[in-house]
Amino acid sequence: MGLGFLLPAFLAGMAALAIPVLLHLRQREREKPQAFPSLMFLSRIPIRTAQRRRITDWPLLLLRAIALALLVAAFARPLFRRAVGAGSSATRSVVVLMDRSLSMGHRESWQAAEDSALAVVAGLGSNDRVAVVAFDEEATVPQPFTLDHAAAAAVIRSLRPGARGTRYASAWRAARQLLDRDSTSRAELVLVSDLQKSGSAPGSAGALPPGAALRVVPVGPASPANTAVSAIDLERRPGAGRGEVVVAARIRSYALPAPRRVHITMTLGGRERGQREVTLPVDGSTRVAFDPVPLPEGNLPLTVSVDPDALSADDVMHAVVPADAAQRVILVLPPSAPPGETMFLERALAIGNDPQITIERRVTGVLDPATLRGVAAVIFYDVAPPGGSAGAALSAWVNAGGGVIVAAGERLAVRGFDGSFVPGRLRGLADRSAERGGTLGAVVEEHPVFSAFRGSGIAALSAAHFFRYPRVEAATGSQVLARFDDDLPALVERRDGLGRVLLAALPLNNEAGDFPRQAAFLPLVRRLVLHAAGSTSGSPWEITGEAWRPSVAIPDLVVAAPSGALERPDSAHGGALLLEESGIYSAYSVRASGVPAALVAANPPRAESDLTRLPREELLLGVSDADTSRASRHVATAEELEQRQQVWRWLLLVAALLLLIESWLVGRGWRARPGRTIIVPDGGVS
Amino acid sequence: MTGVAPATLLDPSVLARIGDLSLLARTVVDGFLHGLHRSLRIGSSFDFAEHRAYQPGDDLRRIDWRLFGRTDKYFLKTYEADTNADVLFVLDVSASMDYGAGPLTKFGYGRALIASLAWLSQRQGDRVGLVTIGGDLVDVVPSSTRHLQLLLHTLARAVPGGEGRLPTGLERVARFRGRSGVVVLVSDCYEEPAVLERSLGGLRARGHDVIVFHLLSPAERDLPWESAVTLEDAESGARLPFLPDVLRPRYQALLAEHQQALRDGLARNRVDYVPVSTDQPLDGALHAYLDRRMLATRMR
Repeated sequence: MGLGFLLPAFLAGMAALAIPVLLHLRQREREKPQAFPSLMFLSRIPIRTAQRRRITDWPLLLLRAIALALLVAAFARPLFRRAVGAGSSATRSVVVLMDRSLSMGHRESWQAAEDSALAVVAGLGSNDRVAVVAFDEEATVPQPFTLDHAAAAAVIRSLRPGARGTRYASAWRAARQLLDRDSTSRAELVLVSDLQKSGSAPGSAGALPPGAALRVVPVGPASPANTAVSAIDLERRPGAGRGEVVVAARIRSYALPAPRRVHITMTLGGRERGQREVTLPVDGSTRVAFDPVPLPEGNLPLTVSVDPDALSADDVMHAVVPADAAQRVILVLPPSAPPGETMFLERALAIGNDPQITIERRVTGVLDPATLRGVAAVIFYDVAPPGGSAGAALSAWVNAGGGVIVAAGERLAVRGFDGSFVPGRLRGLADRSAERGGTLGAVVEEHPVFSAFRGSGIAALSAAHFFRYPRVEAATGSQVLARFDDDLPALVERRDGLGRVLLAALPLNNEAGDFPRQAAFLPLVRRLVLHAAGSTSGSPWEITGEAWRPSVAIPDLVVAAPSGALERPDSAHGGALLLEESGIYSAYSVRASGVPAALVAANPPRAESDLTRLPREELLLGVSDADTSRASRHVATAEELEQRQQVWRWLLLVAALLLLIESWLVGRGWRARPGRTIIVPDGGVS
Repeated sequence: MTGVAPATLLDPSVLARIGDLSLLARTVVDGFLHGLHRSLRIGSSFDFAEHRAYQPGDDLRRIDWRLFGRTDKYFLKTYEADTNADVLFVLDVSASMDYGAGPLTKFGYGRALIASLAWLSQRQGDRVGLVTIGGDLVDVVPSSTRHLQLLLHTLARAVPGGEGRLPTGLERVARFRGRSGVVVLVSDCYEEPAVLERSLGGLRARGHDVIVFHLLSPAERDLPWESAVTLEDAESGARLPFLPDVLRPRYQALLAEHQQALRDGLARNRVDYVPVSTDQPLDGALHAYLDRRMLATRMR
């Protein structure tokens, strides 16, 4: 039986406890020394003093303080809360929370975890119910509550550590859901985990099920020593043929007992292409670069591995080296456009080779399916996209994965365009010349287009001034990615099938603004085009737990996971596949054979390599005991509620009694001697 | 002052409300004299001593014409106390004097007393001077028949404070004061009687008549507190706890011993000792002064 309060806000009245203390101090103030002409005679009288402070004052002070505290508690309406089901059943509901994150694959962790979990199940009474939750970044319930302990043990034995990160909040959530469906007995959570610190991210602590006891069974290594391949950098270089690529890897070491000498091996397309030997520091990062290798003809899987240690899952890192990453982009110009109008745009796109962007200029003309084949994106520079059959062909191309950018300028602002292909309407021209141009007011920082500016926010983009730009009205179903400081949309996106259409009101020439002369111009337009082309990541690998979708349309998609399992992504989910395993995923059309149409590498989150343990106390501090639903399942009768709340009457009664006693004591001259120092002439008797 | 009985102004509670020392002194002295019967004590010459032969330059008004009628010679009548005296008032301005049970502190009372005595002395043609003593001599107004206003002004701006060293100050007064006269000390006498006796004895040795007004506030005499308090020495800042029931009798006994020791010690040196409570009217002190003044001037 616990004690709660119906009106806990009244407990703030406990501050009133300061009142008797202040009164007490005020009494002391009265004893400020009295001025006296001379102590010449008094000092000749030998005296001794005796402190009787506690005997004379503190009882009254305590009486007053206790009476006040009782009054405050009475107003807060204390309530005795009965444990749910207490008395009706002595059974327990035990949830075994098994950490199956990548770090649990440590040589010393998993077996200990399994044994501990099995021991917990074996120790249950015959009436105790048990459920098993397996969690990493997400939680699943392979075994709901059951009295069949053998089945639960079997489930525990079937679990294996995965390739994903740790998040304790997911475990708490799953346990809450389980216990919400359970209306019996005492709840107990048993967390079997290596208590990796990275699993308790700030703000994601979550809440324990109400009234549930938490037991932590820590497993895993005593020392967080570990090495891992933490990153792979690919640097393209021009060379003979398709050029070459330089592969560099970063090796991270954590809390090693001593510097460690390791071999690092680089494998490309299944063939070992380089090896290095380095000495890793006790704690830190080491960059290792391999000799350049010729760029492959097709996409090739790349693997960098370090000598395995106790946690081998992070000693290998996978990536995909794209064969020819050059992105073909068609730039459609209006006939009236002077030659230099798109100079800044074309130069910005031409710079850089990761990936390389090749531009084909066209002055309107037909964009038939044959023309669009192999094209990553089409930019309509201040010209409307075609309608009719050409527009239909373009729309079909976008649905299949193509990307279109409509860069609206002054011409389009005047003429406008028809149809619903573009994710917005133009409502004339905004002229900000008189106020020295407008700036960007807000951007969706999380969007891939602005990935180069993450961290700096809009500051890097706000330096640009835009004098004239179209007034855009975003269409329904589209997303505004950026706005000018007058709140007009600057960049709008809408997804169409596998592709996307973007409407940019940002002036991309040097006449309507100074954006092309700003440092942010180059990265922004490159990201914009690559995003439209479906090549936004730029990273040669993905993180496990993320969803992946091939950037090109692959009919009847089948994906081979690193373990060899075949999966067919559900088209209802946009053909996306959850990357559960660490390694190379290969996408095929119809059947998983031959040359894969696409490759993607998945690696576990790097935080999993840090085995630093979270102290048990910190784990408990991070979670809260939410207390609503479970308590509310038991509906008390009005009589019960009244009975459980009536303690406030007693508190008031006792407070009144104490105040009466206090008044009586004061009336009886308890403080007849307000002075606290009793002076006794030397040799006298007090 | 119309409508107010002059004698009332001798009451300390009335004195405390008068800021102008000159007015106060005049009013007090007038009220005091008004209440006296005509007496031989009053006047610059009141006791016939002898006749002496007229000499050129003598005041013709002082010729005894009756004797001239009988003897046909000019004789002048001479009286006792015919000469004016030097009166030096010494006021203790140490911090202990800044104490009183009501609005009138010992310092205020002493100031009014000296102003009144000075006014009275001036009326009798005496030369009046003032010395204030704190840690050392603070203010010095040399004796003169024309220094009454300066004396009153100096009194008015005197401020009590600091630790008092009355014996040192008195010794310095004794050294610089050449002409013998009357020295009036107004103090709360928080000094060892033997020390004070020695200092005042020095003044007596130089021919001064000394009168000591020992001021006591009723509060420091009676210790009116009913409960325990902590007392702080006005001069040293030392603190002592005080429980009246236990310590009051002992304190008062010590105070009485102190006063008796002063009285005995000063009497041995023929110094007049006048204990004055600040809740008493001023006339008692004025009477005591006049008695001493008469003795001092009873000479030829």
